Amino acid sequence: MNQVLTTPPAVGAPRPWKFPEAVTTRSSTGTPMHVFDRPGQYVATVRVTIAMPLIAEPRELEGVATIMSRTLDEGTELHSANEFAAALERHGAAYGVDVSSDALHVEISVPVSHLEPAVRLLAEAITRPAFNQADVGRHVTIRLGEINQERANAGYRAREAFAAHLFDSSTRRSRPTAGSPDTIRPLTNVEVADFYRNNISPERAEILFAGDATGVDVAGIIDDAFSGWTATAGTALATPEPIYIPGNRVVLVDRPGSVQSQLLIGCAGPDRRDPAWGSAAVANHVVGGTITSRVDTVLREEKGYTYGTRTSFAAPRKGGTFSLGGAVRTEVTGAAIGDALRILREARDGLTEQEVQEAKDSLIRTAPLRYEQADSVAQQVGSNIANGVPVDFADTYLAQIAATTAAEATDAYRRYVGTDGLLVVVVGEAKDVRPQLEGLDLGELIDLS
Amino acid sequence: MPLTYPIVEQTLDNGLRVVVSSDRAVPIVAVNLWYDVGSRHEPAGLTGFAHLFEHLMFQGSRNVASGQHFSLLETAGASLNASTFFDRTNYFESLPSGGLDLALWLEADRMGYLLDAVNQENLDNQRDVVKEEKRQTYDNRPYGDSYERLVKLAFPEGHPYAHMTIGSMADLDAASVEDVHAFFRKYYGPNNAVLTIVGDVSEEDAFDAAKRYFGHLPAIPQPPPAPDGTIGPMTDVQRDDVESDVPSDLVTMMFRLPVDGTPELDAAGLALDILAAGQSGRLNRRLVRDEQIAQSVSGGALPLIGGVSFGTLTGIASDGIDLQTVEDALLEEIEKLAEEGVTEDELATVQAQAERDWLEQLASCAGRADEISHHALLFGDPGRINTRIDQVQAVTVEQVQAAARQWIRANGRVQVTYRRKEAEASETAGEQA
Repeated sequence: MNQVLTTPPAVGAPRPWKFPEAVTTRSSTGTPMHVFDRPGQYVATVRVTIAMPLIAEPRELEGVATIMSRTLDEGTELHSANEFAAALERHGAAYGVDVSSDALHVEISVPVSHLEPAVRLLAEAITRPAFNQADVGRHVTIRLGEINQERANAGYRAREAFAAHLFDSSTRRSRPTAGSPDTIRPLTNVEVADFYRNNISPERAEILFAGDATGVDVAGIIDDAFSGWTATAGTALATPEPIYIPGNRVVLVDRPGSVQSQLLIGCAGPDRRDPAWGSAAVANHVVGGTITSRVDTVLREEKGYTYGTRTSFAAPRKGGTFSLGGAVRTEVTGAAIGDALRILREARDGLTEQEVQEAKDSLIRTAPLRYEQADSVAQQVGSNIANGVPVDFADTYLAQIAATTAAEATDAYRRYVGTDGLLVVVVGEAKDVRPQLEGLDLGELIDLS
Repeated sequence: MPLTYPIVEQTLDNGLRVVVSSDRAVPIVAVNLWYDVGSRHEPAGLTGFAHLFEHLMFQGSRNVASGQHFSLLETAGASLNASTFFDRTNYFESLPSGGLDLALWLEADRMGYLLDAVNQENLDNQRDVVKEEKRQTYDNRPYGDSYERLVKLAFPEGHPYAHMTIGSMADLDAASVEDVHAFFRKYYGPNNAVLTIVGDVSEEDAFDAAKRYFGHLPAIPQPPPAPDGTIGPMTDVQRDDVESDVPSDLVTMMFRLPVDGTPELDAAGLALDILAAGQSGRLNRRLVRDEQIAQSVSGGALPLIGGVSFGTLTGIASDGIDLQTVEDALLEEIEKLAEEGVTEDELATVQAQAERDWLEQLASCAGRADEISHHALLFGDPGRINTRIDQVQAVTVEQVQAAARQWIRANGRVQVTYRRKEAEASETAGEQA
């Protein structure tokens, strides 16, 4: 007969897990091809990652990399924009691009049964774009409309103000990746095609496949599709180290009509070159990485100020950030910031052995879930390449986490958070929020509208 | 392409339906519970209750302290959450397979003994959290209340789909601990749920574990069914025109559609896809690429089980373009599809896209478990996950046109528009010049 168990059943030890292994070869044009065979993953991702540091953009044309990326598939030497989309979607494929600080990613996800024709179209977009002025002009207009949408979005406004006030203006990351109205408006197909010629070539690329490769010559299909890619662009520029602005300060962005205040609080952080990258992730998990972390235990579960906040250490190739983000209701904005800062600062006094062990268990044991799907393998490997670390960096990261002691997690955290001050960004109803900021000792107040 | 995921089902003596799909490829297991209670079950005055439980279910139960559900599962390496929808509520976690017993024990403890832990204090606290969720998701973003406005117009007052799952904050404020307890006792029990286990466990071990942890829970009295929402296509046009502080002018149209689980709904969904899905859809080609009167278009069907579904089409006007131009073009395309039909090639394209979406949905144990629970609870047949693609592929161009003619029409729709206030519109236009 069943007995009601009043204590949690024991958890069996997890099976050992390693990041999936790739078979790596080179295409006839010299581009590395990494094939991750994932049986049972019937939808494959093919991702082309191209080193493209944003510092290659002329200052007055920032956003040209984004417009170039978005118009790769808007008309090629062989197909009009409408024809290209119809052909790709007829094969059940989805196409996407992403521009980060260091790289351009162009990818398709497609049922493996349609791999070959879809990869041909992917190669066509990357190697033979037409850049007709009609298509480029349309994307300039769409980007200007998108900027209007961004300005209305509290989360976006907070990230923009955070970047602008954490980084010195000489650092590219202080400004939006996709450009501003003044730098977008002058763009035509001439600047876009120039940027493409100077930055996109096979020697800067790596190609990834993740999916069920049973009975499919994946490397052969990719090599064949990209065989005509003979452009040369030389070595990509090296991004300089970012310059951070230190000190406590608060930026209040007025967003009239807001019923919540969007908060973003943070400072500099490590990047993947730092052996404490894994330890910092452990500390983050304890402080604000989950709903059970120190911050949300107070802000959400105890006080009900927010639907939820999260902290993270994030980094491109060089120079990371720490941040705490979330939305709180207008009336408690000052109180929520006060609590958040107190918790962030108190964490410098030390994280407990138990907290650190639980964080390590969670981060290590969730790894097989994170990389279960083909697409998540391709995403991870693509960002590893962009970030200048080996394709199996997930194993290094997990080993760093496994080796982290409570003292090391605390040290990694203390090295950054609250050491050179904290930047507080608030996007909300300024007239209601401003009085609440008095007495919080947040440093200089910068008002933005 | 028929799929071959193994599916085995048993019903425990207390009425709990248990479905198992063993897959030893990855050392993880997904646990997924669908409760047959969603916002469509909520009577007037109790809106938002199904969703409120999505919060209270993490506040502890008889043998689980507040917050412990999350902390025990996270330490075991789980990813976990819950969601509420018009038709149902679900609770789920994926974790390394050694944690299966823990996951089942936690789910069983809150299914059987949640109310030991639901008191005034955590009700008050989670009510505050839900209000912040509503502010964040609906109130503090442009166009955030569009669906709330649309369902109110598309369905008569008191219809099961006439209110959103987040519910009314006034109803939540008025709720007493006893109201909340009564709602739980009515709907949360083994015979009103489906438990799905997918992943690295044998069928035998999975059923044994389900019995071990859920077998002793008593059945609840048969819950009342949701009110029947059967209602035909709309026969007139109703508008809600909003002037507010939005970045661009936007129009969203909503249509009633056939009930889920029918070829008619699949056909109507494919018709909306032919209009609005992807880069090659008719609306994107015409409004965004060729005429450039819209910045973006989107749309699709939202399948529902309670007698009727709905679908939407949305266009955001390009700067300097009158929203009426966008609305007129949308209506023209709607009528053109209904009158002239679609091509074989257009249909094959949206069917290929649906196939990829479906395969992606099943690509993780968690996604597969969710669809198994879905099809077991709402259609009584979890095996449908293996034949779903074939159903979609079987739809013909004639069926698409017939569904569109009946359900997706210019003169049978509701619509919300958002227009910038005059002063702001001209100010922005000046900046752009």
